[in-house]
Amino acid sequence: MTQVTMEEVWKDINLASLHPHRQLNIDHEPVLSNQTPNKSIFQDFLNKPLNQEPPPSSSSTHHGSLLAPPATVISLNTHFIDTHFDESAMFGCFGKKRGQDSDDSRGDRRHNRMTKNRESAARSRARKQAYINELELEIVHLKKENARLKRQEEQLKMAEATQHQTKKILQRSWTSPF
Amino acid sequence: MSVNNRDPLVVGGVIGDVLERFTRSIDLRVTYGQREVTNGLDIRPSQILNKPRVEIGGEDLRNFYTLVMVDPDVPSPSNPHLREYLHWLVTDIPATTGTNFGNEIVSYENPRPTSGIHRIVLVLFRQLGRQTVYEPGWRPQFNTREFAALYNLGLPAAAVYFNCQRDNGCGGRRC
Repeated sequence: MTQVTMEEVWKDINLASLHPHRQLNIDHEPVLSNQTPNKSIFQDFLNKPLNQEPPPSSSSTHHGSLLAPPATVISLNTHFIDTHFDESAMFGCFGKKRGQDSDDSRGDRRHNRMTKNRESAARSRARKQAYINELELEIVHLKKENARLKRQEEQLKMAEATQHQTKKILQRSWTSPF
Repeated sequence: MSVNNRDPLVVGGVIGDVLERFTRSIDLRVTYGQREVTNGLDIRPSQILNKPRVEIGGEDLRNFYTLVMVDPDVPSPSNPHLREYLHWLVTDIPATTGTNFGNEIVSYENPRPTSGIHRIVLVLFRQLGRQTVYEPGWRPQFNTREFAALYNLGLPAAAVYFNCQRDNGCGGRRC
């Protein structure tokens, strides 16, 4: 357990020292202000414990770059943590022991989980909206039917009323004309 | 009454995942017990143990219709690799009548979703005439679009869907 925390601390320190480096190499990485930095910084986000949320806009636009994290992450780590790289090379079938492997798969799993959760949330919203739309359609339909039935009722009442009136007055129909 | 983007069938993904866009041309009324099925309604397995009453509109008894009932979210909506599961198939239903008057090619099997909230879709197709429909042979991995193409059924005449999850599910919220 301790090793995991230490490792993260090391990573944090290394990445912090990475930044001044990159600013010196402005010739080699001219897109510093635009694209590439965003990639690695975002991936760093993914690899940190999830108490910070990635910026919402980049989540969709950088979806393509998200597929690349493992490679970049490995290269970052090998640059600074040689011992850990050796360990990861031996991993193979040893399962999830401490070190490099959990880093990558943790990032992967987290990413996977995020995607699934996002999809699930989208389905949930769609479900809700579809139901609401259906109810709205029903309301329109029921209002129309209600109006129609009321009109019908009115007409029937009027027809009945006039019939009543004629019946109240006694009239001879088949008697002689006196 | 053409389908717009606010149509529940579109918003709920039924048009897209199961069906093409279509214009409803006939009335379809599906009732489980006292409950009429309207799009997106939440119905639990215990309420749909037996086949529903299905009444169709139209005017001419000489027009025949086919009813298909599928679950596109099998085994779970997040991983529907067995899409679609065929629950019921009835053909030769005369207009103005119901499934009782048709030919039950595949018997009704009540949905029992185990994982997630599944959409259960009922689709009505108009047949060109009385026709022989061969039962698919198995229920999973049914494809409504292909089935319609195979029997020249064209676009759907009507459709309705509801949501189904296991009886003690929490409706998608944290329990």
